[in-house]
Amino acid sequence: MKSKKLATSNGTLIKRIIRYKYFYMMFLPVLLTSLLFYYMPMYGIKFAFTQYGPFAPPKFIGLENFTTLFKNPNFLSAFRNTITLSLLNLFIGMIVTIVFALLLNELKNKFCKSFVQTLLYLPHFLSWVIVASIFTIILSPQDGFINQILVQLGHKPFYFLISEKWWTPIFLFISRWKDTGWGTIIYLAALSGINPELYEAAAMDGANRLKQCFYVTLPGIMNTILVVFILDLSKVMNLFDSVFNLMNPLVYNVSDTVQTYTFRIMSEQSDYGYATAVGLFKSVVVLVLVLSANQVSKKIKGSSIL
Amino acid sequence: MKDKFSFKKGSRARALFRIFNTIFMIVTVIVILVPILKIISDSLDTTGAYGLRLIPKHPTLAAYKAIISQTTLYTPFLISIYVTLIGTTIGLLLTTLGAYVLIQYEMPGRKLFAGLLFFTMLFNGGLVPTYLNMRNLGLMDTLWAVILPLSLQVYNLILMKSFFEGIPKSLMESAEIDGCTPMGIFFRIVLPLSKPALAAIGLFFAVSFWNEYFNFMLYIQDPAKLNFQIVIREMIIESTTTQSTASSGIYSKTLQNAAIIVTILPFMVIYPFCQKYFVQGVTLGAVKE
Repeated sequence: MKSKKLATSNGTLIKRIIRYKYFYMMFLPVLLTSLLFYYMPMYGIKFAFTQYGPFAPPKFIGLENFTTLFKNPNFLSAFRNTITLSLLNLFIGMIVTIVFALLLNELKNKFCKSFVQTLLYLPHFLSWVIVASIFTIILSPQDGFINQILVQLGHKPFYFLISEKWWTPIFLFISRWKDTGWGTIIYLAALSGINPELYEAAAMDGANRLKQCFYVTLPGIMNTILVVFILDLSKVMNLFDSVFNLMNPLVYNVSDTVQTYTFRIMSEQSDYGYATAVGLFKSVVVLVLVLSANQVSKKIKGSSIL
Repeated sequence: MKDKFSFKKGSRARALFRIFNTIFMIVTVIVILVPILKIISDSLDTTGAYGLRLIPKHPTLAAYKAIISQTTLYTPFLISIYVTLIGTTIGLLLTTLGAYVLIQYEMPGRKLFAGLLFFTMLFNGGLVPTYLNMRNLGLMDTLWAVILPLSLQVYNLILMKSFFEGIPKSLMESAEIDGCTPMGIFFRIVLPLSKPALAAIGLFFAVSFWNEYFNFMLYIQDPAKLNFQIVIREMIIESTTTQSTASSGIYSKTLQNAAIIVTILPFMVIYPFCQKYFVQGVTLGAVKE
């Protein structure tokens, strides 16, 4: 009896698969691309446990790469910088973006609003190569715009991008310059979805604008804030393009990140085994971060985002 | 809600806020605009005496002429265009095909496929294994090494899927009854109804291919296959030359400025017309709560 039931359900499964044969064919290119370029590299993770240079075949050495890793001051400094820069960027980014969204939302003149928005979104589409080039020129000690101002004010020209003290604030500023506007889009969409009756009710109860902001607006976009936070958190360790294009050897101390470090180890020293170990460590940290953020969101609002 | 601009008692705080907000926005506009304006202005000024001017004293197009006369820059520019066109086409094809299959909720294995794609967003092999894999595939020094990995952007696929979910199921079902194959439904019903999403996601792809430099750096050694972003990097960020005039007799900073403008010009031209699609693209995923 039981086996018969299984047979029929198997029969329908095969029938269903046949019914969807065209869909499987359509999915084939997507499947192949993901296997070839995303899953096959995962097989290479095994190199993290080997000694592997360009000339000799990989030799299994267990966890040695990882023990070297945690003793290497360059890696530790890169790890510290990654955490500092990306967390600063994440939190400053979220606050600045939300403030901009709230202020943009208050602009009543339609023309002004769309003009400001158009302009604010623009830098997002410029590559980091271009953005870094623009600011390298603007901050340049010879003829750079900022230094021209300093000179006019009677100061000496200053090379900002090689100063350890200035590099981080400049990096954070340029990141905001590029992406603040783009980030506001999602919040503006959420803001337009808040029921206006809520504001009227709050006003009736005597809430002023500031109170309305705290008791109506912010709770209204809380969901969006959480989603954006988790998506951004998944990018926390992915600090490459921005840093790579703005950094130079003189400020490695404050600017070298795990990814730029990995890239250097790979391209300059061809130490594949060790570089794989660094990359694997990074990937695992990101995975843990995202999954735990998702758990927290489950606790807070009862549903997961992933 | 009372929102009149006045300094009468009761709306004074509101009026002050709006003044503050206007000033804030003006400062924002200046901060965004000045760096770009300065680059444009200096690209037109061959004297090199830039100063604080945002409008050049004697504007000339000499730097642009010098760039156009440099035939070595033609290939990178064409490579940029080629990669953008081919990449966007393949990217859109994979995105729409994947999204279309993922909305077949009755299909056996759908969950597995969705999970397989989704997992790539959470975890990847890392830089070295990805590089070694590309070498094993024999794609080094070919433009496919740049194009193919970037053509599958799972985030875009999810956006596309949520757009497809908004297309009435009844349309697809009635076409199926009329004897339309899944392929036919895809090309004749789903795609024509998804023009806004295709525009949005197509533009995302185009921008990311136009801006790509990392995969070029990683996989391409042949100088005849490098794109314009790499040229810019070498010209400005990696430049160690301190000479102030380039071989063409034009102040090298002016040439750098002009090269930046040439790279962003194609985008600047289409941007005002496409901005609404970009915005739609971001909010595609937010439609479904």
